Amino acid sequence: MMHNQLDRLIWRRHRRLFLATGGLALLGCFMNTMLSLHSLPNGPVQLVDGNIQKWDVYSSTYFSAFPYWIVAAYWMVGLLMMNQDLKDNFNQFLFTSGFSRQRVYWSKIKVAMLGLLVIAALTLALDYGLTYGIALTMKSAGVGFHLAWPGVLTSVIVGLLSSIGMFSLTWFAALIVGQTGALVVTIVGFTFSLVGSSTISVNILRESGVTLNAEQQTWLMGAGWLVAAIILFVWGAALYNKLSLEHNGEYLLFPKLKVPVYIVFVVYVTSLSVWGTDGWSLVFWFLASAIFGYCWLWRPRLGEMFHQWRSRRG
Amino acid sequence: MTLQVTQLSKQISGRSIIDDISFQWAPGEIIGLVGRNGVGKTTLFRTMMNQYVADAGKVTVDDHDIVTTPEEQRRIFFLDVQYNFLDNYRLWEIPDFYGTVYPQFDHQRYLALLTQFKLDKNSQYRRLSKGMRALTNMILALTSNATYIILDEPFDGLDVIVRENIATMIIDEIADQEKGFLISSHDLNELDGLSDRVLLLKDSHLVHDYNLEDIRAKAKKLQLVFKDKQIPAVLKDHSQLIRVSGRVLVVVITDYTPEIDQQLKALQPVLFEELPLTLEDLFRANLAHDTGYQLMK
Repeated sequence: MMHNQLDRLIWRRHRRLFLATGGLALLGCFMNTMLSLHSLPNGPVQLVDGNIQKWDVYSSTYFSAFPYWIVAAYWMVGLLMMNQDLKDNFNQFLFTSGFSRQRVYWSKIKVAMLGLLVIAALTLALDYGLTYGIALTMKSAGVGFHLAWPGVLTSVIVGLLSSIGMFSLTWFAALIVGQTGALVVTIVGFTFSLVGSSTISVNILRESGVTLNAEQQTWLMGAGWLVAAIILFVWGAALYNKLSLEHNGEYLLFPKLKVPVYIVFVVYVTSLSVWGTDGWSLVFWFLASAIFGYCWLWRPRLGEMFHQWRSRRG
Repeated sequence: MTLQVTQLSKQISGRSIIDDISFQWAPGEIIGLVGRNGVGKTTLFRTMMNQYVADAGKVTVDDHDIVTTPEEQRRIFFLDVQYNFLDNYRLWEIPDFYGTVYPQFDHQRYLALLTQFKLDKNSQYRRLSKGMRALTNMILALTSNATYIILDEPFDGLDVIVRENIATMIIDEIADQEKGFLISSHDLNELDGLSDRVLLLKDSHLVHDYNLEDIRAKAKKLQLVFKDKQIPAVLKDHSQLIRVSGRVLVVVITDYTPEIDQQLKALQPVLFEELPLTLEDLFRANLAHDTGYQLMK
């Protein structure tokens, strides 16, 4: 799988991460499938309903055509692969290794994508295989498992695109944030906020006169993830070239990004929070996000400043 | 074959750490890098190796810029003793990484040297004592077979036996003139026996590039006692005071000329003795803020 020295070096460095993540994804999928099928009723039942005929992501009580454990694996690997190299000082070695930074960056993405594709394939095989196997053994009890291409293809393609999008988000965040704790808080918060922002996006489209059915929304979301991933990967490549390791341990590894990140944070949080509410909410959320963002990014030592002010007065 | 550092500069948090550093380094040379704490020795190494992006300047190996021709970096070895990734790996695993990067990495010799220095190859790097880590770093440096080897404080905190081992390994390695060492160290006595050349960093700049042989030919360290307590003007003008004990003065005169010799002898000192000049004396003489005589009031 890894044909050149650099790919082998990166695989050697991160193979434990892939093994652990793959193991967790498989275990999680196995547990999930067993728990879902454990509650099967005694009578005849179809594990997959008619929605599998739609060009939409399929998920029901007994079967999910794209296990969320795969999305979680992509999210986790994006975060850890970039953050571990920074935290464990492997970047120092990579930057002196005789490979250009661009090659290192794209090689890391290549190795990650290949490793994650194997994890995704194995997890999907386990999900489909286990459900099919159980259905086969319970065939006499009237349990049926019938798949259809539209639901399966949409689930796998859009699921993989979303997973790559999630990977690009955590990858990019770990590239620009130099503190592990703060990185986790930032990226977990942002990931949860995506649920709200996708709902708002659909509403904005509807209000703009663009009405999409569920299938179209699903494919649009997949395309959106793909575009976002490409932008973040390319932007990340440009930043990686300028990464200077004296900023290790600072919240932002690129000090020039501080003001743009602040503006994006305030606009994003305010617009997400005030959607569909009144003007007072706008003022409140704008002030709250502006103050929180300032304290988070610039970390003013408020206690120290207060003591200095008090001692000057005294 | 040369490594050339040209006008290298780096600022951190708006403060200039190294500024306009230029020097040349050829295989066969052992160069010492000295300077006070925090003067930027490690920053110079990290900037040379592109771990810190330089604000200005470049490093070339045989006229190839290592940023645009990164393959040339494989001819330079630098292991950051403060920030490296080795902690969680066992000693037998480390060649997996270095062997990939350095095409002439000698795996057999690496294992042989581990055995020779009684280092257990199954030990995790982080479980090693400071001295054992220093030895491991040195073994990696030598077995990488890189042409230019940078060692950052290799003698720091080590006992005399380990220091001797490291110094012997460096001297053995330099014999065929195919490798060069750039060594930063606070242990000036250790460098004294090793280096042919010493670079002196002060206030972010490279203030001196000494050829020790030339320096020793020109400089003198003298122990003097004069009849009266007055310090002669010739000393105030041309020497740096290294030590004073009662009326006994130990001074270094970096440019000892026959005229100075004549003037000193004309003063008919009670004691006039030449002492062996060490690197530490030169360091003191060049890094003291004043000549020391102000302290004698």
